[in-house]
Amino acid sequence: MSKLSVLAARTSLCLLSMVGRGGSMPGTIALKLDPDSLSKLKFNGPVILVTGTNGKTSTANMISSMFEKAGKRVISNRKGDNMKAGITTAILTHTKMNGTVDADVCVLEVDELNIRHVLPYIPVSALVVTNFFRDQLDRAKEMEQLINSIESVLPNYQGTLVLNGDDPNTVRLALKAPKANAVYFGIGQNQYSVLNGLEAAEGKFCPICASRLHYDYYQYSHIGHYSCPNCDFKTPEYDVALSDINLTSQTFVIDQHQYQGPYEGMYSMYNYAAVAAVMKHFNVPATAFDAMLKDAPKPAGRNEHFTKGNQEVILNLIKNPTGANEVLKVIEQDQNEKAIVIVLNDKEQDGTDVSWIYDTHFEKLMDDQTKQIICTGRRAGDMALRLFYGDYQNDLSIEDDIDQAVSKALASSEHVYVIATYTALLVARKAITKEMGL
Amino acid sequence: MKIKCAWMYHDIMDLYGDKGNIMTLSKRAQARGIDFEVDTIGIGQEADLCQYDLCFMGGGADKEQVALIPDLLKRKDNIHQAIAQNTFFFLICGGYQLFGQYYETVDHQKIEGVQVGSYYSLTGKDKSRCIGNVVCDANLDGIHLRLVGFENHGGQTMNVEHPLGRVIQGNGNAFDAGMEGYYDGHILGTYLHGPLLPKNGELADFVLVKALQKRHPEFTLQDLAPMDNPWQAPARKAILDRYQLNDQPE
Repeated sequence: MSKLSVLAARTSLCLLSMVGRGGSMPGTIALKLDPDSLSKLKFNGPVILVTGTNGKTSTANMISSMFEKAGKRVISNRKGDNMKAGITTAILTHTKMNGTVDADVCVLEVDELNIRHVLPYIPVSALVVTNFFRDQLDRAKEMEQLINSIESVLPNYQGTLVLNGDDPNTVRLALKAPKANAVYFGIGQNQYSVLNGLEAAEGKFCPICASRLHYDYYQYSHIGHYSCPNCDFKTPEYDVALSDINLTSQTFVIDQHQYQGPYEGMYSMYNYAAVAAVMKHFNVPATAFDAMLKDAPKPAGRNEHFTKGNQEVILNLIKNPTGANEVLKVIEQDQNEKAIVIVLNDKEQDGTDVSWIYDTHFEKLMDDQTKQIICTGRRAGDMALRLFYGDYQNDLSIEDDIDQAVSKALASSEHVYVIATYTALLVARKAITKEMGL
Repeated sequence: MKIKCAWMYHDIMDLYGDKGNIMTLSKRAQARGIDFEVDTIGIGQEADLCQYDLCFMGGGADKEQVALIPDLLKRKDNIHQAIAQNTFFFLICGGYQLFGQYYETVDHQKIEGVQVGSYYSLTGKDKSRCIGNVVCDANLDGIHLRLVGFENHGGQTMNVEHPLGRVIQGNGNAFDAGMEGYYDGHILGTYLHGPLLPKNGELADFVLVKALQKRHPEFTLQDLAPMDNPWQAPARKAILDRYQLNDQPE
């Protein structure tokens, strides 16, 4: 059976690549032929799953690339789908006919709700969890149910949990995994830490006794140093910690060694910390970690810069309050006069509920430097209303056509920021290159 | 003129952007020269709700919501007193459920409510939830409004004596309930997020007037100056067009 499904997956991938498709179809076919496809495979090296609300793509890509820099052959689902079928595709298309997976390391980004469909079926060495925030709540239902779904497969898990020690929502997973060992990464108090958390925050309550958690400080959102006044639950001791972080130079220190990362913002620092924890756990040389950071490509639409003459456009993905707040903080720091295009869609992958724009601090755009905001996308009206009720005073407009929106922004300012939800990202990118003549 | 608003459990009941309702009330009041003063009221905080013209409570995650029940029940008498003294209550989702007779959590715990309305809320079968856009036609003391919002609730609210309105699109109080929310002149409870008020400015004005009437019984909707807001119509149209609906209540 397993041979057949490997064959089927490889054949269908071959056929699909001839017609220019791929994605999750081969895995879907294999799973139809044999629902246990994954559990019959033989893996020769570590299998690492990466999940969490924000940063799982960047983190998984950095882990893959780090192992490659260390000379390992890596399988990943870098190009695509993080649901079970996509993951099955990634693995089966690199599997020999005898069922042996042909790689030294597997690094798989897994959707949070798909962990329970993947983790029990393959020999996972490490489960890396970046964080848990409100994200597309209408799909994931409440975050509590999402965490429960992961917890449900942990009682028999015997690998390692690599957890964000500063996020109580990830640390609680260790409580449900008696056979696993846990490794914690984090960042100690620093110049960016704040005493009061103002952003939308989850994890206010202790997962053991439900008392309100006490925070000594916050790094961003509910990520910070917490303890329960009533029981033992608290930020654990870090196994790997970043120190001397500098968000301007994007540098940090691990074991007296300074590194420079390719991505901006505090949330990226946590992704570096997660990768560093994997490095230490699997004894990957620090030189490979360093080489990975130096060569890391910027993912499309994650702080992607477009320039022509004096004109600069920066494109960013926004998908939930926490990620969006971090993007807005970066925009706020730019002291130039600027125009902003916001593309708000509400398709399935964006989240059909757009209420999260009210949990997001668009007030960061409400300064003298932001001369113009143009709203476009399926829910442009909601975005304009949000800015109106947030008391935005400068020029505000709605454009039905995204090309028009970008062109209008380019006409009024040399510095343009485009922020787009998931399904709008590629269209926004196209509009930028078209209107800039790139 | 001034409106004193109590925002109950603002730090727990703040799911799905419900804070947008406070932003809307505040901006619409100030645009008419009315002071809108908000006090947040958290667990354990002493407050006499009778001192307020308006009390607002949003929705929360199931687990977090449970944490505030003992505190809320301690305020039960004070809430009934405040209602008798014409404080207006505006409640969304979890807040709405908690003012009923009782509600049942996802793990079938039965939790006593403030018992202002005769309604009660059961949990959805197999953790099912009503999720999606909602259009409903409300009747508020004879004022007919078409409301546009988003529902996301497991709770199935039954035995609603005075529904807020008739559902045109979506579920409402329970799967295929046909009716949405609760309104009895003193309390407006609804499952509608969105948040609700930014896209329904006329409802926001109605809430402001109900609050003002505590200290100015003669005040009516006609006394509120019109307000220019070019963004509400396109935001509503984006939803209404999908269901081939126009922007008029039936």
